[in-house]
Amino acid sequence: MSLIARHLEENGIPTIVMGCAKDIVEHVGVPRFLFSDFPLGNAAGKPNDVESQALTMELALQVLESAIGPRTTVQSPQCWTEDASWKLDFSNIEQLSEEEIARRKAEFDRNKQIAKERRERDIKSAAAAE
Amino acid sequence: MSEADEEFGFAEPYDLPIPYLHRIRTYYQTLGYGKPYRWAQYRDAPFTPLKKPLAESRVALVTTAAPYQPDKGDQGPGAAYNSAAKFYTVYTDSTESDPDLRVSHIGIDRKHTTAEDMRTWFPLRQLKRLADEGVIGGITERFYGAPTNRSQKRTLEVDCPEIHDRIREDGGDVAVIVAN
Repeated sequence: MSLIARHLEENGIPTIVMGCAKDIVEHVGVPRFLFSDFPLGNAAGKPNDVESQALTMELALQVLESAIGPRTTVQSPQCWTEDASWKLDFSNIEQLSEEEIARRKAEFDRNKQIAKERRERDIKSAAAAE
Repeated sequence: MSEADEEFGFAEPYDLPIPYLHRIRTYYQTLGYGKPYRWAQYRDAPFTPLKKPLAESRVALVTTAAPYQPDKGDQGPGAAYNSAAKFYTVYTDSTESDPDLRVSHIGIDRKHTTAEDMRTWFPLRQLKRLADEGVIGGITERFYGAPTNRSQKRTLEVDCPEIHDRIREDGGDVAVIVAN
């Protein structure tokens, strides 16, 4: 998504990226970024919380309108939960047993194969349609 | 927490933005995939100032979410990662309706969130409200679905220009891009 922001911006369309992965977005380098310190999948606000969703969208538009230059990151003041221990879990190898690592490896291989077949099919049918 | 932490009201040491680059690298290395993924990385970032106030600008919404596909297995809420639901070419759909979009094909946090509320990754309703209130000038007739493609070449050479062209066709002035 960061690459899309860069491309649009290079071609004259101002952008705002809304996201939860601060280091990844900043590693690529985008013009404007509203960072919500939430689990991945909640870049537009908390689930079933219209107030949080409204605030997040309003903040994003404010950043879009007021950023003075590229690589502007603004962090939303919202917290996911009072207890921040959820941050220890995502893809954290230190938290996994050997059995769990083996199980995840098998699952990863299975999904990769499915994705590969789907990708080849999609690209082939897109080419046929052109 | 140490005594000093308590005394000065410091946060827990882990209460920082998650270091995803480090986590993902060590995760896949431990799973046995040697060569780490090379994330895109640039020294500079482009910047285009707004040409007119937001109240006069038409907003284009770009998402990585996928339309629900009943024949592609469990897509949530609460679904495990489902690569069958992935898509590899740009799509568009109408912003008039309320589309049913899912994120089961994306590496979201499946332990601490369940993908039960589409509004947490697709803020169309909020944009409609802000358009009604006159905060933004309007929303383009279509939204834009961006593939989460591990091929950076394809993202850069095919998907990015495609999304740009479609936003231009629809008269979009600015873009809101929601990552997952």
